[in-house]
Amino acid sequence: MAYALVALGFVLALNAAGAVNFAHGDLVTLGGVAAVLTGVWTGLPGPLLLPLVALALGVAGILAARVAILPLVARPPEATFVATIALGAIVEQGLTVTMGAAPLTAPAFAGSGTVDIAGIAVGRQPLAIVVVGAMLVGAVWFLLEHTQTGRRMRAVASDRAMARAVGIPVGRYILLSLALAGALAGVAGFLLGHQFLVAPTQGGGHMLRAYIAVALGGWGSVPGALLGALGIGAFETFAAVWLGDAWASAALYICVLAVLAARPQGLFGEPVGRRA
Amino acid sequence: MILEVIGLRVEAGEIVALLGGTGAGKTELLETILGVRPGHVRLFGEDATRLSVEQRVRRGIGYVPEGRRVFAGLTVRENIEAASSLPSADRRRRVAQLFELFPMLAERPKARAWLLSGGQQQMLALARALIDRPRLLLLDEPTLGLAPVVVAELWAHLRRLAAEGTAILLTEQRAALALEVASRGAVLKGGVVARQASAEQLLADPALAALMGG
Repeated sequence: MAYALVALGFVLALNAAGAVNFAHGDLVTLGGVAAVLTGVWTGLPGPLLLPLVALALGVAGILAARVAILPLVARPPEATFVATIALGAIVEQGLTVTMGAAPLTAPAFAGSGTVDIAGIAVGRQPLAIVVVGAMLVGAVWFLLEHTQTGRRMRAVASDRAMARAVGIPVGRYILLSLALAGALAGVAGFLLGHQFLVAPTQGGGHMLRAYIAVALGGWGSVPGALLGALGIGAFETFAAVWLGDAWASAALYICVLAVLAARPQGLFGEPVGRRA
Repeated sequence: MILEVIGLRVEAGEIVALLGGTGAGKTELLETILGVRPGHVRLFGEDATRLSVEQRVRRGIGYVPEGRRVFAGLTVRENIEAASSLPSADRRRRVAQLFELFPMLAERPKARAWLLSGGQQQMLALARALIDRPRLLLLDEPTLGLAPVVVAELWAHLRRLAAEGTAILLTEQRAALALEVASRGAVLKGGVVARQASAEQLLADPALAALMGG
């Protein structure tokens, strides 16, 4: 479910900016670091840390947009690719210099240990990831499908020039989308950072999974990205049981290649322009 | 006075056809009025040169672009609502009014726009432009690719809007078709108004075809 948050943020940023934000994975890492630091400084419990981390990474998302995306919005997408790759490298190197290469542990969202559900012991952190992830995905779905803000975000994603021509303040909605993408990345980094630790070099892995989820689900499709991310998570979990972690990753990439060879537009590929 | 640009004026309740061949500058002129392109324009009696597109739309411009360009993944209702700056209750009332005016849209409010026919998409683009009751409606090549029966329905809508006081400026390559609905026409050539007259005078002008072709 944490992958779903990463992929959801990735596709919101993709649709709003019209180009891939290659720094998105590093925002996830930054979210983990923000959770570690805020937890140490404030001592607040996980549920109170979460909005602080989301807010901080929402601001980081806006800054990333201001630095590497919005100034290049009229240029070919390749310019944004290069700028966001550079931004991601700056974040990664900056974190390595300031916190060192050793992984850190983010605070637990809901304490450690397990809870008993129908006779099955379930870890508190994995359960928190599922519950918080599902609530956030539901909230974003409600925003996009049932509010005027969401309709306008989707209109901007669908046809930016036309959205402007009907009076929608396009720049404001692009920034809002990128702030939301940053906040989702931050929450994902927080939730993953307890179980899988936080290290400066993790951004590339997060980015790769989000990219694969979106490519599998259908480029630009929000439901496709969610289903792609959930599919990747489920595949890795179950394949690791049978094959071990290394072979599970290899099997994932083989499956991705097979799916894209059979359906280049992704599993839920949509007509051009039908986005978000 | 609603609009004055390079000697072209559009008054309230008037339908003006902007005529000319490909490359005459018709789309560019509409985009200048809308604010997408820079240029000196007076709108609703005031200098609009420094106003943004959003400000001009809020002051009362509705725009139907060439090729419709509906928001493909949004539903019919969402397309119309997304273009509105009205408070939610007013917006819902206005959408209900537009559905009365466009029954073909009312039949499929939840259909994704990319599923609609060309005629339905044109009506959707018009309804979207009308959501906030514009005082000036700009239509770029609105008949392109439409069947005659759909064009007739479109003209009926424009006549009704003009009768209610909306100023309408539409571009068209086929002069005879546009002058069916317009009361006045202006032939654009090389970005300037080469000829401006009533629809009757233009239709009777033997030099019209040469001007359009040029």
